Amino acid sequence: MNTQLKELNAITRRDFLKASGLSAGGLIIGVSLPMGVLGAADSADFEPSAFIHIAKNGDTTLFCGRCEMGQGISTALPAAVADELEADWTRVTVLQGDADKKYGPQDTGGSQSINKMLEPMRKAGAAGREMLVAAAAKAWSLPVADCYAKSHVVYNRKDGRKLPFGDLVELAGELPVPGEPVLKTRDQFRYIGQPLQRHDQDEMVVGKRIFGADKKVPGVKYAAIKHIPVLGGSVKPLDKSKAMAIAGVVDVVVIPRFENPYGTVGGVAVVADNTWTAQKALDALGVEFEAGENGSFNTTEYKQQLLRNVEAPAKVEFEKGSLDQAFKDAAKRHSATFETGFLSHSPIEPMAGLVWVQDDSCEIWASTQDPQGIQRTIGAYLERKPEDITVHVMAAGGAFGRKFKCDYIVEAAACSKAVGAPVQLTWSREEDTRTGYYHPCSAHRVEASLDADGNLTGWLHRAAFPTISSTFNPASVQPSADDLNAVSKHLYGVENMRVESGMARAHTRIGWLRSVYHIFYGFVINVFTDELAHEAGVDMAQFLRKMYDNNKDPEQQEQIKRSRGVLDKVVEMSGYGKNMPAGHGIGLAVHHSFASYAAMAAHVEVKGNDIKVHRVDCAIDCGLVLNPDIATAQMEGAVTMGLGFVLHPGISFANGAVVNSNYHDYPIPSVGEAPTKINVGFVGQQYRSTGIGEPGVPTTAPAVVNAIFAATGKRLRSMPIKLA
Amino acid sequence: MSYSITINGQAHQTDVDGDMPLLWFLRDTLELTGTKYGCGMGLCGACTVHLDGDAVQSCLVSVGEANGKKVTTIEGLSKDGSHPLQIAWLDNNVSQCGYCQPGQIMVAADLLKQNPEPSAEDIDTAMEGNLCRCGTYLRVRKAIADAAEQMKGGAK
Ligand code: FES
Ligand code: FES
Repeated sequence: MNTQLKELNAITRRDFLKASGLSAGGLIIGVSLPMGVLGAADSADFEPSAFIHIAKNGDTTLFCGRCEMGQGISTALPAAVADELEADWTRVTVLQGDADKKYGPQDTGGSQSINKMLEPMRKAGAAGREMLVAAAAKAWSLPVADCYAKSHVVYNRKDGRKLPFGDLVELAGELPVPGEPVLKTRDQFRYIGQPLQRHDQDEMVVGKRIFGADKKVPGVKYAAIKHIPVLGGSVKPLDKSKAMAIAGVVDVVVIPRFENPYGTVGGVAVVADNTWTAQKALDALGVEFEAGENGSFNTTEYKQQLLRNVEAPAKVEFEKGSLDQAFKDAAKRHSATFETGFLSHSPIEPMAGLVWVQDDSCEIWASTQDPQGIQRTIGAYLERKPEDITVHVMAAGGAFGRKFKCDYIVEAAACSKAVGAPVQLTWSREEDTRTGYYHPCSAHRVEASLDADGNLTGWLHRAAFPTISSTFNPASVQPSADDLNAVSKHLYGVENMRVESGMARAHTRIGWLRSVYHIFYGFVINVFTDELAHEAGVDMAQFLRKMYDNNKDPEQQEQIKRSRGVLDKVVEMSGYGKNMPAGHGIGLAVHHSFASYAAMAAHVEVKGNDIKVHRVDCAIDCGLVLNPDIATAQMEGAVTMGLGFVLHPGISFANGAVVNSNYHDYPIPSVGEAPTKINVGFVGQQYRSTGIGEPGVPTTAPAVVNAIFAATGKRLRSMPIKLA
Repeated sequence: MSYSITINGQAHQTDVDGDMPLLWFLRDTLELTGTKYGCGMGLCGACTVHLDGDAVQSCLVSVGEANGKKVTTIEGLSKDGSHPLQIAWLDNNVSQCGYCQPGQIMVAADLLKQNPEPSAEDIDTAMEGNLCRCGTYLRVRKAIADAAEQMKGGAK
């Protein structure tokens, strides 16, 4: 990557402060996250987690511990810092930090990076600017008020003299770091809110970006793996000779299950001179497996069981008002049952990484969202201290929540240890499809009551799905109260409500997938709302506005206002409500997740069983938008991924194992399925910045399904949809 | 048996197994990792290279089949990243994670060579085999149209 970062990572935190302070030439400002405490490089007990470094020649470097996986975080955040610093963006370089506690928590998910890091990072930038301005004032013996910074230069208001940042770093380094620097006001922003080009685009288009799967070190060997297909199963006794007879094979490594949330399900790996030889030898082995306790797990039956579990009263996790009374007094009652399927992340770069285990060291190069999770997990696996595990964070070729887990790194470590060489393990697509941490399938029974004026008076919601917690704690066999929050806390302000949790024991690993449970909550709540609007004789926008108006909960007023903001915007953008030609329809969905608000209108054409999504309008309120182009790209991606969730078959299991294998039987959207137009509108920019990576996903599927109803009058209640 | 393949203008002699897919020869033997693995079955397009000038999925072409032929990978598409498509890709901020993009660009380059003025439909048809999980398709379309426009201007 580059020597500067390598050197920095080779030294301990305390040394870092010494080595990279003024003695290393330049000004360093550290910020500890998430509290945002600022400090100078030379204070003994200050432990910063992100850094700004300005060299004597003015070159400015930001060290950032968050992981880039396509969402543009390594552009949007530094641009905000550069803005506060009054740096010239073209002179700012961003370095991704290796795994180290000095960067604070590095796990990148839940659309949290911007949410938590923005203010502290902006403060660090502003502190730097104030120090440089103060240094110039000192040099010119002027009051600070007579000096100002602009684009890497400090100017003297009186006589127009100027000093570049680089010339000031030494002097600035002697000044105290201001504890509460003054942030810019919005009219002063130069980079925040601008569509700056991502700093990492250049190397991508020439094939020079090094992903986890691409990393090489001298003497590297290559591995391929077949996993135990059923969770809790085992490898049958094996004759290694068929693989060992193939030229170029180094070893066959049987990897037992490592029962750790981020561990491996176990399997058989072959290490060879190249990936292809390893794959070929693995096939030659004819590995067989014992299924074990989950061997009769089968999605068709499992889903039927979940549906049964939500038909009858289940465990009450939330209750308010009197639902029974509301149902008794209702002018109209409406109920429906929904089901959604297992989904896989399926990034185009499968799970891959390079590990070198030696007696006294372990070095890892990985596409990962959670480098410290690798340190912990590999530390436990090798029985070493986490800090003795070195993790280099490589670019991830898509992650979407899957690369939080590091089962592939555990397996590469097992291989490296067995053969005594660095090993690059690349999962085949088939293994990637079949060895996931899946988004769970779910079943929902929803019933609501309306009064004579079409007001929503009661809501019963019973949900059953295998939980993410089950991966951490097998005793978790049904959704917890927290897992049901998206329903119990939603913004309709229904006065009488009961939320129940149905049994759903997990038989596979369940994990986070971009927007997590909101994928099905967004679907169920929005489709059911469209149904209720229909029952009430109004359109969904009118129905939503009425519910927002009826919600007087003082704690939800801001949320309601912002939901209404995106709703109104998307109605305006899409012309929702206008007449459409036969076979065409516009469907609506609004959802609040990850502290942001999204509304979508999908324009769909239905011809027989053929569904074409022509256009999607999205209104998003994620507060102040740091980079509108990156935010727009995130929405385009969210819509496209959401289309796959609703239109393509999900993951299914038979005899405990995943049936799907590759992109032909677990298809993801192709260019032909992408809408001609995805329009993105931003509202609510007066609010604090919140995440954009996930909140666009939950609205796509329901908007499409509601559009299909508008086009055909056919109600669909499953995701993926089942036509006919 | 020994094979000779010219890759990005440079001749390579090799005695690897002739059945080895060109993809793995490029990635593991030559360490040219711009060509990506995504599916190994001709389903994703991430591994696309040019073989004697035509776009092929290198996971489906063996070293033996490439013997005596000329291969261009993303690293060799232009000397300095100046192919109109590469520039259009930057201008449109196409890449998200970027992993699929070398394959997208190699297919698009083949398209524009054969059809310098593709319609929107032509673009979708040509790009249908290139999957992008990040969902960059709208920008891929736009970048190809922009590059075509640019190249037309250049030819005048
Ligand atoms: S890896 Fe060759 S088409 Fe997917
Ligand atoms: S940009 Fe990530 S897969 Fe295409």
